[in-house]
This record gives sequence, C-alpha cells and structure tokens, in this order.
Amino acid sequence: MSTAEQTASGSVFERWCDRNLRILMLAPAMIILAGLTLFPTIYMFAAAFQKISANVTVPREFVGIDNFARLLTDAQFHVGLLNTLIFTVAAVTTEFLLGLGLALLLDKYIRRLNFLKTILMMPMMLPPIAVSITWKLIYEPQFGVLNELMYRLGLPPQAWAGDVHLAMFTVVLADVWEWTPFMFLLMLAGLASLPIEPYEAAELDGASAWRQFWDLTLPFLKPVIAIALLLRIMDALRLFDLVFILTQGGPADATKVLSFYIYQVAFRFVDIGYAAAISLVVLVLTVVFSTWFIQRMRLAV
Amino acid sequence: MLTRNRAKETALRLAAYLVILIALLWTLFPVYWLAVNSFKLDLDIFAVPPVWAPWLDFPPTLKHYYAAFVERPFLLFAANSLIIAIATTIVSVSVGTMAGYALARFQYPGQWRYQISFWILSTRMMPPIVTIIPLFIFFNYFSLLNSKTAVAVSYTAFNLPFATWMMKSYFQDLPAELEEAAMVDGDTRWGAFLRVALPLARPGLAATAIFCLILSWNEFLLALILTQTEQSVTLPIGIAGRVTQYKTYWGEISAAGFMASIPIVIFAFIVQRHLVRGLSLGAVKG
Repeated sequence: MSTAEQTASGSVFERWCDRNLRILMLAPAMIILAGLTLFPTIYMFAAAFQKISANVTVPREFVGIDNFARLLTDAQFHVGLLNTLIFTVAAVTTEFLLGLGLALLLDKYIRRLNFLKTILMMPMMLPPIAVSITWKLIYEPQFGVLNELMYRLGLPPQAWAGDVHLAMFTVVLADVWEWTPFMFLLMLAGLASLPIEPYEAAELDGASAWRQFWDLTLPFLKPVIAIALLLRIMDALRLFDLVFILTQGGPADATKVLSFYIYQVAFRFVDIGYAAAISLVVLVLTVVFSTWFIQRMRLAV
Repeated sequence: MLTRNRAKETALRLAAYLVILIALLWTLFPVYWLAVNSFKLDLDIFAVPPVWAPWLDFPPTLKHYYAAFVERPFLLFAANSLIIAIATTIVSVSVGTMAGYALARFQYPGQWRYQISFWILSTRMMPPIVTIIPLFIFFNYFSLLNSKTAVAVSYTAFNLPFATWMMKSYFQDLPAELEEAAMVDGDTRWGAFLRVALPLARPGLAATAIFCLILSWNEFLLALILTQTEQSVTLPIGIAGRVTQYKTYWGEISAAGFMASIPIVIFAFIVQRHLVRGLSLGAVKG
C-alpha cells in the first residue's frame, strides 16, 4: 500500500494502525456479528440433537436425529410450514402487483409526487404493534368496522380473525396494507431511473403501451424487482407480530406459521431441542431460497 | 382521430386519479380509526353502528391517555424503548460506519471483500426466531434477562449489518479523490476518513441512525422473549400485554399505539429522501 508509506508522520503505533487500517476498521463489526449470529447458529446445531429439559438441573441428553424424526410426523409442523408458504406467496404476490400497478400509475399521471408518497408510505413505518391492534379493531366481530361494511353491503357478518376459513385472509390483508408501500416505493424508484431514449425509439416505431411495458419497462426494472421480492419474501417467511396479536396462530391452527410455532415450542412448551430442530429447518429454507434466488437473478440480469 | 385519442387520455387520467384516491383512503382510514378510537369512551368504542367523528358523533375524551400514561407505566415502557433504541443505534452506527468504509474503500486479497460483504448481509437475513433461543439461554445464564442490555445487544444483531451496508453504499457514492488528496497533503488514512469522508457522508450517517432508531423502536419478537417484568418491557410489549385472553383494553392500547406511532411518522418524514435506499439496504438508490 503505497499510500501508507507516504505518511511518514506520526508515532510508530499510529503508522502501524494506519497500515492495518483495513483490518482494524472491519474487525469490530465482524467480531460482534460473529458473536451475535455465528454463536447462536452453532448452539442451535448442537441443541437440535439434544433433549433439553426445562429443569436446568437435569443434564442434557444426546438423542441423535430424534428431533428431526419427530418433524416428519408432527402435524403441527406440517401445518406451520404450509401456512408459512401460503402466507408468503399470497401476501408478497398481492403486494408486488398492487405496488407495481400503483407505481406505474403515479409515475405516469402525477407530477409532484413527494407529498403523496409520504402519505402512502406511512403504513410500513408504523410500529407493527400499532398496525396489529388497528386491524384487530377493524376485524372485531361485534363492533368492528368491517362487519359494519358487510352490513351496509347487505352481506352477513363474519368472525374474521376468529373464522377458520377467513383467519389467514385477515392476516394477509393486514400485511398487504402494511407492506404494499414498500413494493410501491421501490418500484417508483426503479421507474424514476429508467432511460428515456429506448422509449422514444419505441414510440417512433409505433410500439403500443403494452409492448413498451413488456419489452422495456419490465426488463429495466428487473434488478429492482428482484431485490424487492427477495427482501419481502425474507420478511414474510418470518411473520410473527400480526399472528401474535390477531390470531395467536388459531383458530384451529389456521394461521400457525413456523416462527409462531417455534415460539410456542421453545417458550410455552419449553422443548428447546425440538425448537432448535425446527429453527434449523427454517434457517436452511431461508438460506437455500435466498442463495438460489440471488444466483438466479444474477444469471438472468 | 386526435380528439378520440384526447378523450381516451382524459378518461385514463380520471381513472388514475380515482385509483389514487382509493389508495389514499385505504392507507389513511386504518390510521384514522386507531387515532379516533383512542379518544372514545368505552361506551363509544363498543357502539354499534360505529361512531365516526369526534364532537359530531361522540364526545372525545383523554381518559385512555390518562389511564395508559399516568395510571399505568406506559411512559416507563416508552423510556425503556427509547434507551434501548439509542444504545443499539450508537454502537451499530459507529461500528457499522467503520466497516462500511473499509468495505467501500480498501482492497482485500482474492474474493474476500465480496465474501465478507455477503456474509454481513446474510446475518441481516437470519430469522430472529432462530437466534433468539440461544441468546435467551445466554442472557439467562448471565442473569441479564429483563435488562435493557440484553435487548439492546440482540437488536445490534440486525442494526449492525444494516448500518454497515447503508454506509458502504453512501461511501461508494463519494469520490475517493478527495481522501487521496488529503493523504497526499500528509494526512493519514484514518485522518482522511475522519476529516474528509465522514463529514461528506453526514446526511447518510443521519439517515442510517434514524433507520436504526425506527427499527429498534418498532421491534417486537426479541423484546417479547427477552423482557417479561413490568420494569423492563418495551412499548410494543407493554401494549401487547393489554391484549389478554379475557379482556382487551381497546382504549388504552389505541392511545398507546397511536402515541408510539407519532415519533415514527415524524422520523419517516425526515428520512423520506433516503427511504428507498434504507429499505433496500443500499441496493436501490432512490
């Protein structure tokens, strides 16, 4: 590093620091993160093969793959996995389509966007607890406004979050309210950075708006779309707050997602070893999916 | 032909305005509903059909604010949240800024720079439910459960990678020539970082810090598990505690939820320009 040698001033220590700056500046972050994520991962790996009693005086017992074998027959785990996937696909797809549509519309028809943007982005900034209780209030079967709306439309009232068939829908709807702004803002940023020339050329060639969207806008937006989807899917896979406040995983496990199930197993049933095994499955799913997604998108871009 | 096109254009424009109006109503109504319910007497909260407008439909009251913030310790919960948020933000932003600068500016052998960046990003992707069980056991072992330290430390797990990536992206936007010029003038590498790069990155630094504050203030799952006593819970957990199996204190949670939202909305206004970058961890520059 020639730059370091040029600085002849300073004590020996200062010069040593400066020479090794690239390590010294990076090391604290890496040490802290290793402690906060690597240690827990290794611990979970070990715990997943043990039976750990709630009573700390009972020694841990190595049980091999028993915890993983249990996963195969545990109906609640299967339901949790399925619910997590259903929620993720339903919520993220809806948010993406709504967000993209709204962004296209605003980009085309509204000139000074900033004020509108500020209002529309609000839901995702609010504390999730505030979002959860707001929707709990709206869904309330006795005096909630959603049933008032049903009544005015001449439809029968529903139990909403308390109904086996509607509970997942209510969680998805609240999540769509909260996170569509995320998709919307990212898409809008993507649209703002589109080059103008290809569109002028397309216009000269007489390409329809639809063709321009498919052949120009979507390909240009692809990197932004990829990042937005990746981040939203990661978040949806770990859904917890809405379920905790709206449904507690019920009714009849209709909204039991994996992170809520892990919470129950670990902190209500105090079965740490088994909770660790489920957590490992979630971790592997997340890592495999994100790696696959990133690789695929990079190949395609 | 031209007039038909113009008519079509006008119709489309009107349709667009209609959609935007619906989007605005859809966004604002739930917020309004939370706010308005926090000012209702219990009687009016349970009213069927619902009452909509203060003064017109029902007499507004501050009863629930009094109940939450004077009779019950929601002010203490808010203070807990604030102290935790500030502590984790200071650590995350200072450590993350250095790491972000290193990753933006320095050469590392082979693919290391890319590998390390990616690893730091991947820690941000870790589902918190996976890391919380070992952290719970760890904090329990050191008798740190129900302490602000435990919550602040666990929040650093997601704030630090966030701050690192954000600052990396801001530093990459700055021209390296200014720092090089400072070093030619005899400044050290560290001095160039401190006196040239850091002041230039100040807007990014402020935005990153505000994002960390918001993320920490809003966090739910980790605080739920790490704090249980009334002395230690954060604001979101305090609110959730008033939703019980037997009774939901609608007025109180609406009041506390609305109050918890206000600082966040103000902060969101401040970082509006940086929002897209913050949401995408520096990947999309809005």
